[in-house]
Amino acid sequence: MDIITKTLFVMELAEYEKVSDQVKIAQRDLEQDGFSKNPFFHGIIAEVPEHLKSKEDSCMYFFTGHTKVGYSLYFYTYSSWKGRAVYMEDLYVMPEFRGKGIGKALMSKVSQLGLAAGCTQLNFTVLDWNKSSLDFYLKQGCWDVTSDLGYHCMRCEGDALEHLAQGGL
Amino acid sequence: MANFNLRKAEPKDVPDILRLIKELAKYEEMEDQVILTEKDLLEDGFGDHPFYHCVVADVPAEQQCSLTGYSVIGFAMYYFTYDPWIGKLLYLEDFYVMKEYRGFGIGSEILKTLSDTAVKNRCSSMHFIVAESNKAFIDFYKRRGASDLSLQEGWRLFRIDKENLLKMSAEE
Repeated sequence: MDIITKTLFVMELAEYEKVSDQVKIAQRDLEQDGFSKNPFFHGIIAEVPEHLKSKEDSCMYFFTGHTKVGYSLYFYTYSSWKGRAVYMEDLYVMPEFRGKGIGKALMSKVSQLGLAAGCTQLNFTVLDWNKSSLDFYLKQGCWDVTSDLGYHCMRCEGDALEHLAQGGL
Repeated sequence: MANFNLRKAEPKDVPDILRLIKELAKYEEMEDQVILTEKDLLEDGFGDHPFYHCVVADVPAEQQCSLTGYSVIGFAMYYFTYDPWIGKLLYLEDFYVMKEYRGFGIGSEILKTLSDTAVKNRCSSMHFIVAESNKAFIDFYKRRGASDLSLQEGWRLFRIDKENLLKMSAEE
């Protein structure tokens, strides 16, 4: 996937999740982190033939007339109980192309690649208000670990991380 | 008790790492869920492209508890993940100190080392999962500035296990 498309998709997904002011990364970072010898992430892109390219103007970026209509960004992680796992960080399909099985096909591809790499589980997070995504994932056989096991996602960042690194407890 | 040493795990530490993983799982009442073997840990952590990194805490021979006889008494397993909005992150998968060695600052020192690793590797933040029933750990982390993304932002962790992964990957 070319880096320009990936950057634009990331911005569009952030807009959909209503948090676009939180996107701090630049195209340069994505390029370095995703396309070097030991990439921190991998990406798959969904493309349609030229005659089916997008007609509608995407929310804020220049997606009219594009054949690249969706993507998934993933990386490999590790479960201390089960071993190799794959984490799907982003899954996005342009609104105009939803309901056609593209999201499912992207997830299927990530699953295939994960299984080929020896992974036994696929993990990802979903926002609790995103009902259509929650329903879609539950239909694919996923289960809600936060709900069922009470696991909460925690984060330590910025000043708190620096403070912790300096031994400030 | 004061002397302990934090270091990068080596292949010879694999049996101790698995022992500590199982001990932590037992504490979380999930011991039967651990199917990982020493062979998996060796291959996945010490090959050409490691899936995880590990630091271990060990104590000198004279300080080994007569009850346990172990010198490796704590560990943390982590790896690097990616957030396309902010870049690299450090993900803390497991973090555990044996009961007999708690209260001596070993856990805090491990966390400090990991945070330092995160900062040196240009990670924007450190992420991890905590069970909501584990109030002691949640308070431990919140005191150190961690925020609960599930509560504050509504993020729910989802999973697909192998059986459904196989079904999904076979779909056209």
